[in-house]
Amino acid sequence: MTGHSDHDHRHDDHAEIVESAKPGYYEMMEIAIRELLIERKMFGANEIRQQIEVLDSRTPALGAKIVARAWINPIFKARLLANGRAACEEFGISFYDDTQLIVLENTDKVHNLIVCTLCSCYPRPVLGLPPDWYKQKPYRARAVIEPRAVLAEFGTHISDDVDVRVSDSTAMVRYLVLPMRPRGTEEYSEDELAALVTRDTMIGVVPVTVNARS
Amino acid sequence: MTETSHLVRRLPNDIGGLESPPIQRTEHELEPWEKRCHALADVLDFHKIINTEEKRRGVEALGAEVIGKLTYYERWIVAFANILFQKGLLTPEQVALKMDEVEARWSAGQVS
Amino acid sequence: MALSNFDRPSASPQSRIVFATGEKPVFGEGDQVRILSRSPVGHYRVPQYLRGKQGVIETVIEPAAVNNEEEAYGRNAGARRHYYRVAIPMTEIWPDYAGSIRDGLHIEIYETWLERRRDDRTF
Repeated sequence: MTGHSDHDHRHDDHAEIVESAKPGYYEMMEIAIRELLIERKMFGANEIRQQIEVLDSRTPALGAKIVARAWINPIFKARLLANGRAACEEFGISFYDDTQLIVLENTDKVHNLIVCTLCSCYPRPVLGLPPDWYKQKPYRARAVIEPRAVLAEFGTHISDDVDVRVSDSTAMVRYLVLPMRPRGTEEYSEDELAALVTRDTMIGVVPVTVNARS
Repeated sequence: MTETSHLVRRLPNDIGGLESPPIQRTEHELEPWEKRCHALADVLDFHKIINTEEKRRGVEALGAEVIGKLTYYERWIVAFANILFQKGLLTPEQVALKMDEVEARWSAGQVS
Repeated sequence: MALSNFDRPSASPQSRIVFATGEKPVFGEGDQVRILSRSPVGHYRVPQYLRGKQGVIETVIEPAAVNNEEEAYGRNAGARRHYYRVAIPMTEIWPDYAGSIRDGLHIEIYETWLERRRDDRTF
């Protein structure tokens, strides 16, 4: 019998909605395993709640702030490129375990793209959770063999005098693309710049454009 | 080398370079249970009850058919169950009985 | 620290540091390496498409870490070695690569999956 308010809270949610859908098989498995482990004091219900808040707090807006700062401040940019994790910590963004962050700068000579062919490694502390397409087979299989065709599917055409570099995350390093600052933004404030930087520009599948919605 | 060795040599998730159709830019907002499942994974890793690499191996061990047919977080929770059983932290019977209890609580909630 | 040198008066003005196995990276930036071709049963993190391919060490990743292939079976601590960010030309990986010959792939590879290429310079 669980006396924990975590599940009682959710049970009340279900009870309020008369027509609520029955939890599926896998949801019931998740509830069962979580409750059993909490009963055995392997962790507390509050830790799950807290981690959900952490997950909710992580959005691409964090990465966008870092990109905007790098565009405006060349000394910060140098620090960011030298040690991505340490530079993020200046913003209060922490990485788990010994995970490192390498920030890859796009230039007029190099275009970077990130992928995890083996699973779905992604720089979650700065971008939040990855989109479905990043985790699915077509992107993962094709990004490492035909990156230019993959980019074209996103509407991004890279000319032959620009080198495409694909980074396949498999271990303790995560990647963030530092996209090129678009022309015509010389007068923009840091906040206005950050508003241009979308998640997909930091994965490397699209460039930052001035008309982008964030 | 037997003709089945490729099934063992290549993990089901090792797909870099394999032929694949066009990318479908699907996204979905996580369902509450999926977010709880992700939080569970992070808490399990933090405590090193199940670290992230163990989770990855656990998903691989589900095999190609299950991997192909279950969704992302469905694979995680089944992998967690298997790993917890292997480590002797939970038993299949405990999980089955608790799942029945969860179902019964839901049904009781519907009656009101 | 090597105690024998510490005790020896004036023989060596500096104490000698002896690194434990794996503590110091075996490879350095610019080293030419080959990714090994072995075929493990069970968990691995070196994709098949890169087995046997040659590249250059771009970065030594710090700190040294537990082998993730063993971590997957529950090893959370113990012997550590380095990962290396390896740069490999796309044309080295795919014979019919359709993009620019200067396109490349970068990946982290654990020390136990690398060897020096035969034509590496020595110093």
